[in-house]
Amino acid sequence: MTEEKKNELFEQYNNRTHVYGRIFSIISLFLLLAVPFVMGAYLQAMPDIPAFLRTFLAIGIVYLVSAIAEYLIYTPMLGAGGSYLAFITGNLINMKLPCAFNARDIVGAKTGTPENEIISTLSIATSSLVTILVLAVGVALLLPLQPLLQSEALQPAFENVVPALFGAMAYKYYRGNMKIAAFPLIAMTLLFLLVPSLTGSTSFMIIPSGAISIGVAYWYYKKGQKKDE
Amino acid sequence: MQILTQLNSPVMYLIVGVVILFIALVCVFFMVRAYRAGKAIGMDVKLLKRAITASATFAVLPSVGILLGVIALSGSLGTPLPWLRLSVIGALHYETQVAEAAAEGVGLTTLSAAQMTPKAFTTIALTMSFCIIWGMVLAILFNKGYLKKLSGQSPKKGGGTSVIKDFGNTAMTAMFIGLVSAYIGSYIGDFVSGNGLFTFTGNWMPLVVVVVAALVMAVCIWLAEKKKAAWIDNFSVALSMLIAMASAVLVGQLV
Repeated sequence: MTEEKKNELFEQYNNRTHVYGRIFSIISLFLLLAVPFVMGAYLQAMPDIPAFLRTFLAIGIVYLVSAIAEYLIYTPMLGAGGSYLAFITGNLINMKLPCAFNARDIVGAKTGTPENEIISTLSIATSSLVTILVLAVGVALLLPLQPLLQSEALQPAFENVVPALFGAMAYKYYRGNMKIAAFPLIAMTLLFLLVPSLTGSTSFMIIPSGAISIGVAYWYYKKGQKKDE
Repeated sequence: MQILTQLNSPVMYLIVGVVILFIALVCVFFMVRAYRAGKAIGMDVKLLKRAITASATFAVLPSVGILLGVIALSGSLGTPLPWLRLSVIGALHYETQVAEAAAEGVGLTTLSAAQMTPKAFTTIALTMSFCIIWGMVLAILFNKGYLKKLSGQSPKKGGGTSVIKDFGNTAMTAMFIGLVSAYIGSYIGDFVSGNGLFTFTGNWMPLVVVVVAALVMAVCIWLAEKKKAAWIDNFSVALSMLIAMASAVLVGQLV
């Protein structure tokens, strides 16, 4: 096959990928946002929109900024088909990216080539299907365990899901970044010690805490750049 | 608990199952298209099959880790919602943080089945679903133009992307450090001043759980780095969480 013919076929494939990617992303988006309302109709309790908006303003904005950064950085690595699928199926950093990189390395595809686009899409579609299958089987196996999971004895475990997550994340993120972490950690601890009533609004405190962290990180980044010069 | 029976009812599984089935079909569609396109442009079929096999085997362990996340959240939100959230766009750290913030937003003191109401649940579900849509929205709006621009860009013109990469990664880490610090600060504040300034009689259980989770994570990282057990990375967050949560049960029984 001539290089010209190959590029023409790939161009056709890629253009259709954007059409299908957009259509399926829009349908997925609609389904995803419809679920809470369908569940609300069944439970006869629709979502509390003012409470939702308050939470969105507190924490959703943080994820909007993070999503823009992730989008700009990871889309070129994933390619067209891979990025549509990865943004629909999630678990981007902990699974999709390393999985696509692994497949690409195994077959020796180079970034920016048609081969890379194909392998990346194949890899992300396959890994998504495996996750869906493992979760479906796991959830089916969980059904007989429901009474145990709902027992009073296990409730302290489920009441501490969030501290468990932050303990694990704290070690992961603080490690090697203590210079950055010290400032927001001390500032937030002092704040909550002196104004303990704020513990009911911790999610709102993420914004000043995040701003302090990013400010300190930027200061070290600039300092590092000056040193390099 | 009545609320968990409602949240785990067959209808809830059906609602979630339909959406997950749709997403699975989308994956199959993209997979078949990519496979056929690969063959059409002359790629070796063996390589295509190898990419599929390698990705399938690679995904098994992280998927089990994600399943542990569903278990971790099922005690407070039932099983269907965490199942959906971790199958579509979700990620364990995101889901837990947003669910906790949404629980606060609807007036619960913590994310727990004991305080959950149907209205609180649907509000939490909406917040979890809405706050994570941005990647998908950006892909719908900009993917074609962004990728086209990048493919036509010379290396010299790539300066902007490199700045984003340089400080972008640091800024994301810093943002999560800020987020984690806010919560850890609140646990310390709650223990020290929760029942009156500097009385040290508040709720200490979250601090115990934080410390246990951090220790387990430290062991996982040590095993991955020093003992070459890289596979453990796939489980480190879920494993740390489950052991720390188990410690809450154990400590609760002992005290």
